[in-house]
Amino acid sequence: MKALQELAAKLLTEKTVQIVIGYEEGPRGVRPAFITRAEDADRLVFDSRCVQNLASYLSPRRNHLVPLGKKAIVVKGCDSRAVAGLIRETQVRREDVVLIGVRCGGVVRDPAADTTLTPDTVAARCAECDIREPKLVDHLIGDLPPAPPVNRKRDELIAALDAMSAEERWAFWQAELARCVRCHACREVCPMCFCERCIADKSQPQWIESSAHRQGNLSWQFSRVLHQAGRCADCSECERVCPAKIPLSLLMRKTSLIVRELFNYRVTDDPSVPAPIGAYRLDDKQEFIL
Amino acid sequence: MSSTTTSTITAKAAQGFEPRIMAFVCNWCTYTGADLAGTSRLHMAHNVRIVRLPCTGRIDPLFIIKAFERGADGVIVSGCHPADCHYSVGNYHARRRFAIGRGLLKFFGIDERRLTFSWVSASEGKKWADVVNETTARIQGLGAFDAFRNLTEDWK
Amino acid sequence: MRTTTYLSQTNLRGLAEDLLTAGTRVVAPAKIGRAPYQQVDYQRIAKVEELAMDGALPSRPLKQFFMPPTEILLRWKQKKSDVEIEEISTQFPATVILGARPCDAAAPGIVDCVMNWDYRDELYFGRRDATTIIGLACGGFDKSCFCTAVGLGPDATAGSDLFLTPVDGGYHVDVLTEKGESLVQAHAARFSDSTGMDAAKRFHADARKKVESNLNPVPPAVRQWLESNFEHTLWESIALRCHGCGACASVCPTCHCFDIVDEARGVDRGERRRNWDTCQTSRFTVHGSGHNPRANQNTRFRQRVTHKFAIYPKKFEKILCSGCGRCARACPGGMDLPELLAEIERLATSAEAPQLRGERS
Repeated sequence: MKALQELAAKLLTEKTVQIVIGYEEGPRGVRPAFITRAEDADRLVFDSRCVQNLASYLSPRRNHLVPLGKKAIVVKGCDSRAVAGLIRETQVRREDVVLIGVRCGGVVRDPAADTTLTPDTVAARCAECDIREPKLVDHLIGDLPPAPPVNRKRDELIAALDAMSAEERWAFWQAELARCVRCHACREVCPMCFCERCIADKSQPQWIESSAHRQGNLSWQFSRVLHQAGRCADCSECERVCPAKIPLSLLMRKTSLIVRELFNYRVTDDPSVPAPIGAYRLDDKQEFIL
Repeated sequence: MSSTTTSTITAKAAQGFEPRIMAFVCNWCTYTGADLAGTSRLHMAHNVRIVRLPCTGRIDPLFIIKAFERGADGVIVSGCHPADCHYSVGNYHARRRFAIGRGLLKFFGIDERRLTFSWVSASEGKKWADVVNETTARIQGLGAFDAFRNLTEDWK
Repeated sequence: MRTTTYLSQTNLRGLAEDLLTAGTRVVAPAKIGRAPYQQVDYQRIAKVEELAMDGALPSRPLKQFFMPPTEILLRWKQKKSDVEIEEISTQFPATVILGARPCDAAAPGIVDCVMNWDYRDELYFGRRDATTIIGLACGGFDKSCFCTAVGLGPDATAGSDLFLTPVDGGYHVDVLTEKGESLVQAHAARFSDSTGMDAAKRFHADARKKVESNLNPVPPAVRQWLESNFEHTLWESIALRCHGCGACASVCPTCHCFDIVDEARGVDRGERRRNWDTCQTSRFTVHGSGHNPRANQNTRFRQRVTHKFAIYPKKFEKILCSGCGRCARACPGGMDLPELLAEIERLATSAEAPQLRGERS
């Protein structure tokens, strides 16, 4: 923690960056912090409540952050995959951001909860984490904490859904999607949703109805999730923000499993590796094609 | 979809259901193949409506959803065989997208038997006829996709 | 009119059962979702077993039952140049909302002002008139609750037709309106004389104590400050952590902005629909030219706060907020309305510079 605060102060004092985006103690647990003065750097914290994926603040759509100048952001290993995605897709130039990596021992699901990691409280994405020490960084902070407990409930639910009949799965998703209010918060909060104009906002022609009926809701989530195939860093911010509490990360996770099975691809923190959509192999699987 | 058409379908279902099937095909191979099937006077089910696109690479998986929204009971996507793409690699890109999209549709609970993907070249008029007939028979077995169509009916 | 009565736990379930059997729509806090995704939300219930009255604060407020996320305003059919319009009924089935938290029960009464301002919104009031609200006294949930700061409270009966307070074995019931009275009369056998007045008062006092410590009552000075500080430096970087996702508005019991869209059902017919909208997204104000008068998130967030605590009060003498705290709970970026209100109060009552942590450059 001290090392993080000192580094942030140094970066600001030496004018390497104009703003450090990290985590601070807020009224409801840990929240993103925006530090512009070295003397405020002591507000920075890092612990298992630091759930948020700060890479979202690098997206060019956050235009209110652009005038603040060059940014440094605190990244966990999982977050660094989203940063790599933004670099890969030319939304951010590597030299325009300073990445402060933190060694991570897993995070809880709710930043307003306490720091205790149990199989019930730990975030689902930590279960198969192989990047607790991020590599795509300029600075690396902290000692490597012990590995977190494993929460496989999300994968178990996905397996249960896969085992269902199509009708049962349909009923499950229709019950969930019936609650969608089409606020598109899932899109707005996503670090990888950076389109200037989303297909869901197009009205001439209108591809996806903007009304919150189950048909449009299905079309919307199908499109959103498909556009994230091979790109989603599994931060689950879409699920955390959803005001209707739809288990959106089931869709994201399932899609990443499909991509993994089909193309032997996992979302990586190496910006030079092409994403699976936009690339191809001559011998890609095609058993489903007559 | 209009209520007239809905009732027509319901009536037809009673006496041997005639599904509505949308086919999204590429201009260079499958559309020409379908043309050949026609000029060769091959017998084909008349349930398929074709939308011609330049390339399978232009076919967004969202088209499939849109077809279901507008009343399709099944969807065919067809284009040039690998290595035959008029634009060299459009079908390779499409193949990846459809592989993922198909898996995701399945996870949403859409029966993947409502979807047919095929490579049909300009000379494969017979194969196109087979794809059409086989798909039609399969969708007839599955029945109308009312579950999808009716999704707008319950939000009052 | 009896002003108080008693409803045992058993009879509460019995009452719900009676209502369901009679075909009345019953909306109540209910558990939904599969493990590990369970939650409590207000739902139209089909069985008494779904009731979850004592659980957590329902994740969303009641507004969807008065103004659904999407509703049809009219249907059209077109034949060449003739357009046929089908009107939508403004008659709605009788609905009883059971177990509304005070912040949620009070909110529709606040929104009524704007819905009956330049014209009377028949769809909204159609649902309002058809609905009886049975409020449930709240024990206070967490430190984001601030109902007492906006003139309500965990014991506030505003908006409720009947108001339940948990006492031993059941509920002390305040009968507040004619709608409430007729509900009691229609199910008289379920109610009995209450001896729980004192216990109810203790429950209210404990809850008030808990919530009052979260935030002082919002003073008139806040409104005055907002009205005269539109260009204050506080706003210049107020929303750095805000993603502009609008989750705050979706879960807000009083946010009521909507968009009207015409969406086709095939080539010759379609529906005009009213959909929820929010001032927190950039699209809300963008002009056809591409110009956006609220060009960034700081200005959009200022709009939300100013509307709630200055513009609406100026027009209707009511704060557009019931203090439920859901905006703070829902925000993925940690924006916190109670924290901001305290800061504005400080600015309004002193000459100091803004001090709000993390939002100042």
